[in-house]
Amino acid sequence: MICENCKQRPATITVTQMKNGKKVTRHFCDVCNKQLDHFHLNLDSDESPNAMQKLFSNLFGTPSWSVQSVPISNPQTKVPNESCPQCGMTYRKFLEEGKFNCPTCYGTFKEQLPQVLKRLHNGATEHIGKVPGSINESYQMKRQIEALRQDMKLAVDEERFEDAANIRDQVRALEKKLQIGGEEKGEH
Amino acid sequence: MNIEHFLKSKPPIWMRGDIDYGDIVMSTRIRLARNLTGFRFPRAFSDEEALQIDKMVSNALIDGDKKFNIPFSYFSLHEMPALQRQVLVEKHLISPQLANKTKSGSILVSEDETISIMVNEEDHIRIQCLQPGLQLDKAYQIADEVDRLLEDKLPYAFDESFGYLTCCPTNTGTGLRASVMMHLPALTVTNQMGSLINTMARLGMVVRGIYGEGTEAVGNYYQISNQITLGKPEEDIILDLQSVAEQIIQKEIGARRALLEHASIAVSDRLNRSLGVLKYARILSSEEAANCLSNVRLGIDLGLIPTIPDRVLNECMLIMQPGFLQQHAGTTLQPNERDVYRASIIREQLQFNNSDSKQ
Repeated sequence: MICENCKQRPATITVTQMKNGKKVTRHFCDVCNKQLDHFHLNLDSDESPNAMQKLFSNLFGTPSWSVQSVPISNPQTKVPNESCPQCGMTYRKFLEEGKFNCPTCYGTFKEQLPQVLKRLHNGATEHIGKVPGSINESYQMKRQIEALRQDMKLAVDEERFEDAANIRDQVRALEKKLQIGGEEKGEH
Repeated sequence: MNIEHFLKSKPPIWMRGDIDYGDIVMSTRIRLARNLTGFRFPRAFSDEEALQIDKMVSNALIDGDKKFNIPFSYFSLHEMPALQRQVLVEKHLISPQLANKTKSGSILVSEDETISIMVNEEDHIRIQCLQPGLQLDKAYQIADEVDRLLEDKLPYAFDESFGYLTCCPTNTGTGLRASVMMHLPALTVTNQMGSLINTMARLGMVVRGIYGEGTEAVGNYYQISNQITLGKPEEDIILDLQSVAEQIIQKEIGARRALLEHASIAVSDRLNRSLGVLKYARILSSEEAANCLSNVRLGIDLGLIPTIPDRVLNECMLIMQPGFLQQHAGTTLQPNERDVYRASIIREQLQFNNSDSKQ
């Protein structure tokens, strides 16, 4: 007799299980027997959800559309109806599969995403770190404008109006530059 | 560079164990996940999209200007026989997931095998950099350099609040997974791995088997990596992993010391028996071979077994895997035939080395 799992090595181990009240006898080789965890044995791989799906259903509990008793007032269980314009992904499908179909999905589900990311990344919802060079320029400029605005506010508070006017001009110049840069990129 | 170069059983330089902590940390790996804007992710894209992405990435790396002076070789998985794909997985040049994606996947690999770029795996681009020993900074620097070269030429999918956009939200943000492959036989045998794995989870780290997600720890090798990719800059992710790895190294060293103190003869017996198995067995499953090799390595580190060069042990580790074995045999082998062939190859390697060291 050959092993039921690898169908190659000779079967040396017999496993008897109770499945739905029926006795099932299976034969495995030594190697497969060690690899198979008989207490959770499920050889029909179609039935077993992959690790990621399991993780997601564990994280978010039973989806609200399958159990009526879940209070609808809980914002986390609210499922939006819109689908992603680029790939047609729905939020419900994302919760089932745990993966997106295109980068645009992130924009489509912008509202719901922080809830998901928080759970996966220990509370974090915002990226800190490397930024691609091309995006970096406008990103830096935005940061600079923000900082200048703070300075301007301080100058006004301290009644240094001339300084404030100077800073205001700098902010305007940067904003103009940012706008032009954005338009140029948009044309491509 | 043709594919044969990358199928040799000579261990690549990232397997050289003569770096700091080389006896405990076998290698360091950095992976960056990147996607191109305007294309669906590989799980949903069309054949045309796949082809276009493939061309864009390989053009950027190979035909682009010579800013980057490392030459890359390109291989499409579509044209590659299953056995060759398996060998590339066993060499950690590609992931098992990519090996199964024969329709659209490809790989770009540097001659010394320390940099490989997987195209159209789960994400459009996965930059991978491998280094021997514990060298997170160096590995990240190289991966970062490749990333900067690619970002100049390719429209990356990036969002100011979510960072690099990836197929799976577990990679969103930096797209960075840093990992260290550690040989932890003393922590394993003293049953400390379970609590270590739990502690790691609380620190935002994951412990996995040597081929990554969903694989088991073979031969007491564990891959420890960051779980969190969002809300932390790259430098912090790497620093945190570095300090965790250093702590685990100290724990392993402590456990080894305790083993020697409390049960020196029993340990020596067990480890030397493993050497005996490798030298004289006629049937060796991959699991048994991996465990024995782990024991022999520990025996050498503890001074209980006369030195066998790292090169020989590393080659044994590579060649005992099913893909390499069959490639070495030049024919497909049934699992029981493999076990016999594996025993004979390892025997040969160790006996040859043994007569060497006597002289």
